[in-house]
Amino acid sequence: MIDTPRRVAIVGGNRIPFARSNSVYSHASNQDMLTAVLDGLIKRFSLEGEQLGEVAGGAVLKHSRDRDLTRESVLGTRLAPETPAYDVQQACGTGLETTILVANKIALGQIDAGIACGADTTSDAPLALNEGLRQILLDANREKSTAGRLKHLLKVRPGQIVPQIPRNEEPRTGLSMGEHCAIMASEWGLGRSEQDELAVRSHHNLASAYERGFMDDLVSPYLGLERDQNLRADSSMEKLAKLKPVFGGPEGTMTAGNSTPLSDGASAVLLASEEWARERGLPILAYFVDGQTAAIDHVHKREGLLMAPAYAMPRMLDRLGLSLQDFDLYEIHEAFAAQVLCTLRAWEDEQFCRERLHRDGPLGAIDREKLNVGGGSLAAGHPFAATGGRIVASLAKALHERGKGRGVISICAAAGQGVVAVLESAGGAQ
Amino acid sequence: MMRTRTLKSSPSILALYARSAVAMLPGTSLLPLIPGAGKEIPELELTLPGVKVKPAEVAAYAKVCGFSLRDELPVTFPHVLAFPLHMAIMADGSFPFGAVGLVHIENRIIQRRAIGLGEELEIRVRPSALEPHPRGRAFSLLTEVLAGGEPVWEGTSRMLRRGGGKQAAATATPRGSEENPSDSSAGDSADGGTTPQPAELEVSSEWRLSGDLGRRYAAVSGDRNPIHMHALSAKAFGFPRAIAHGMWTKARCLAALESRLPEALSVEVRFRKPILLPTRVQFASASRDQQIEFAVRDAKRGTPHLEGNVMPLEAQQTSTRSN
Repeated sequence: MIDTPRRVAIVGGNRIPFARSNSVYSHASNQDMLTAVLDGLIKRFSLEGEQLGEVAGGAVLKHSRDRDLTRESVLGTRLAPETPAYDVQQACGTGLETTILVANKIALGQIDAGIACGADTTSDAPLALNEGLRQILLDANREKSTAGRLKHLLKVRPGQIVPQIPRNEEPRTGLSMGEHCAIMASEWGLGRSEQDELAVRSHHNLASAYERGFMDDLVSPYLGLERDQNLRADSSMEKLAKLKPVFGGPEGTMTAGNSTPLSDGASAVLLASEEWARERGLPILAYFVDGQTAAIDHVHKREGLLMAPAYAMPRMLDRLGLSLQDFDLYEIHEAFAAQVLCTLRAWEDEQFCRERLHRDGPLGAIDREKLNVGGGSLAAGHPFAATGGRIVASLAKALHERGKGRGVISICAAAGQGVVAVLESAGGAQ
Repeated sequence: MMRTRTLKSSPSILALYARSAVAMLPGTSLLPLIPGAGKEIPELELTLPGVKVKPAEVAAYAKVCGFSLRDELPVTFPHVLAFPLHMAIMADGSFPFGAVGLVHIENRIIQRRAIGLGEELEIRVRPSALEPHPRGRAFSLLTEVLAGGEPVWEGTSRMLRRGGGKQAAATATPRGSEENPSDSSAGDSADGGTTPQPAELEVSSEWRLSGDLGRRYAAVSGDRNPIHMHALSAKAFGFPRAIAHGMWTKARCLAALESRLPEALSVEVRFRKPILLPTRVQFASASRDQQIEFAVRDAKRGTPHLEGNVMPLEAQQTSTRSN
């Protein structure tokens, strides 16, 4: 037992370039991609044969055969097979939630080092048996006699041959995530051009991060891809202005350009106690300081589906005694440009902060120049469970480059959840 | 004198099979382009430059063999790239017999470094001379793979031509010959002096091999030898059922050991009794010093189907020098 929590070091990360759906990674499974990023991380930090405290990972779109996806991936890597692993699923919050889980165990002295990771493929997606057919087959299987089985099997209809395809849809509202976000965008009165501006900036920032070599030790090539496939270095307001709205009807402001595309990819982050990292001569890019998850009721209370991070943030800030302006870098996951802008608008809004967050006043505005400086999901793409690891590793590296300072992460997730976290440079917060 | 022929593209395997099949008919060896004209194995080298692998093909191969899809090629994959050249050599008019009916008895791979999926490769294949073998005559197909002019991978496929004598050389072993392939061990235990006793290896897993395994591997490797495709086509060559490809079995073993393989390695296998599909087999292995020994055996009787060993390349080179 330890008396006080230990500091948790972020040693580094590894990911594969993110690909657009049904493209370069069409034939790669979640396990393939997860194994590849884990082995890349193991190689980068010479962890061959090492028995880590744990590996926490997950995927949002998961095949039933991938019961122990993370553990099976670990067994395919060069880590010691005695390294335990488990799966986590919290929609797009998965990657950051696994980071919090591993970090907490390190802080409590339960483990010394671990990996947080995630993978998602929208190409190699699980197809399930048609629900009607599945019921008939199970009923038939329960019968003892051939006649009994036949009675059920005769109920099979030709239409039931069509499998069930996973849908990007909220089970309790029937609306897609984009449709939900379009409602938020209209409630907060967002314009088209501010969303497009955020998207252009995302592409330009990520392109320059690649240009100056910032991504060299964060990304390993995979299946012929060296950079994120969705990245458009020449993105411009003029080009984005040509796109038609895809959510919110003909008057909508959300397009394919200011929404993330379906993507494939994986990422991993190595976390450790300071002693563990120092003993092995490994770098400490930043410290993991704190994390917070919140959920809202998007079904009955008219809350915006993707607004939960707005609630998570003040809880974490209050605990740390920090204000929203006390950060040098902000990483807000760009599921949609509108999600980022609604969140920022909410924190600036007196009424929202008083009525919904029960605070005396607004959290206030942030310096937009400090937002997603290395690009965001609009440019990189968004393989659901892999986004958290991408952001944690690149923010940790950006803080390391600055030499000091603090960074904050905000990630929205399906089903009305949100995860936020604070990192601090190894050189100190100020 | 060595003839070297540079190919512009990978030869069509189906056409080569057709030629090899024709070679089984008596008298056809006199025809041009049909194997059987020569008495000795020709000194012929085929090279195929500018080979770029397609990730979708590697993915399909990896899935059938059990490898995970990485940015490096599975260690056995270059064999698939070289296979059309193997067939082209054996289908050459100057070759003394056709490929159909030959038995793959040993295979050795040396990987000097992992090959990246995006690398442009050059493949060179040449046969060695025929040598007497206790069960007939044997030769090897030697494959070299270069990346950027640097040799990165070597493969040696040892092939047995069952039976001896000049009459037998022109025709493949027909069905109903005194040598029943299903009863004969493909290799010869007499030459396996370094083979560890099977009992020393620990069984770690059991594999259920389905009846369509030969067809599935054929689809990803191009090796459509009729003995692997279907029980009926296998019967025509004296096997009671379709048999698993030796190179699938080798690939499956290496996939099972994937996370423990050194990057630069040498892996040798000896193919024993053919695996009749469908069936269940056991995979056994043991690590000793830097070496991993492994075997695939019949799940019921324990008879060996494959025996092999892997070692890091440095250790292997050292041991060769000390010999």
